[in-house]
Amino acid sequence: MSAKRTARRSIPAVVLGLVAGTMIACVSAPAPPPPEQMSRTKVETAPADLQLLCASAVAKASGVDSAKILPVSSSKLDSKTYQVELDAGGKKTSCLVDTEGNVKSIVPV
Amino acid sequence: MTLSLANRTVAPKSNDLRIAGSRMVLAAALVMIVIGATLAYAAQTQVFDPQTHKWVEYDKAKARKYYAAHKEVPEAFRPQRVKFRTAEVPGTIIIDGNKHFLYLVQSGQQAMRYGIGVGREGFGWAGIVRVGRMAEWPTWTPPVEMVARDPNAVKYAAGMQGGPDNPLGARALYLYEGDQDTIYRIHGTPEPWTIGLDVSSGCIRMRNDDITDLASRVKVGAKVIVLMEGAALYKGV
Repeated sequence: MSAKRTARRSIPAVVLGLVAGTMIACVSAPAPPPPEQMSRTKVETAPADLQLLCASAVAKASGVDSAKILPVSSSKLDSKTYQVELDAGGKKTSCLVDTEGNVKSIVPV
Repeated sequence: MTLSLANRTVAPKSNDLRIAGSRMVLAAALVMIVIGATLAYAAQTQVFDPQTHKWVEYDKAKARKYYAAHKEVPEAFRPQRVKFRTAEVPGTIIIDGNKHFLYLVQSGQQAMRYGIGVGREGFGWAGIVRVGRMAEWPTWTPPVEMVARDPNAVKYAAGMQGGPDNPLGARALYLYEGDQDTIYRIHGTPEPWTIGLDVSSGCIRMRNDDITDLASRVKVGAKVIVLMEGAALYKGV
């Protein structure tokens, strides 16, 4: 009898545990990204606008016509920074830009 | 190990076994590397599935299946207005080939973003060009190089009239380097499920509705900046 009583007493606890577990799972499921971020590439390049901000900065710094400056590769350095490699009139240049669009550095390679 | 000449059996030496084993391991490793590289190339893009809340590989098979089920491309590749910080003037076209987006710069640090299909492996290109001319339901004439390599293009060597089955689709923006036709176009397509993929011979393809919209907003002479990491060649720089 006591075993039955014990089992009956533990049922609410089990149910509570299941409900709590389900709620935790629902709450912790990440929100879907906005539609404009619903695609990604395995190799993460810098957003196009950040690449072009680097190109503009290189044009200003070097005096090279912006029509001759092209970003040719990019990579994510950390959660807030991208490195963009550019061809500036035949010369290689490296640029660091943050996710806010601030160009941190421009270095001829 | 002993040789038994009487029954003419020769047991393999342990060294030979080791060599054979090493070769098999090496061959298996090479096969896995090739398979891995192929899979990696085949599925560089991922899209978020809002039903399963998971990121899924987006390759030709998945794209075809998605389009068949939804009669539409995934949401990321549909036209939308986005934030776009740039010094380029409104009306400039920016192509991000790696992410399969075309941006039309608007005022107020914004852009219209469209999904695109781009050149497949070995056919990607980058550079700074301009819109030399535009056409509606254009005739398609495959380049000589395409006729040489693709048997399906031979019958159209003299040109294919514009229409719903024409590979250029509803509109074509012809890209020029100075006064020289680059042979690359931004054009529509009768295969909208290929948007978001690396499929073409270098042209940029868009859904017919999107290219029609873009063509209505763009002027001849508009600057086009094509960004493509790993490009096979460069134009205009």
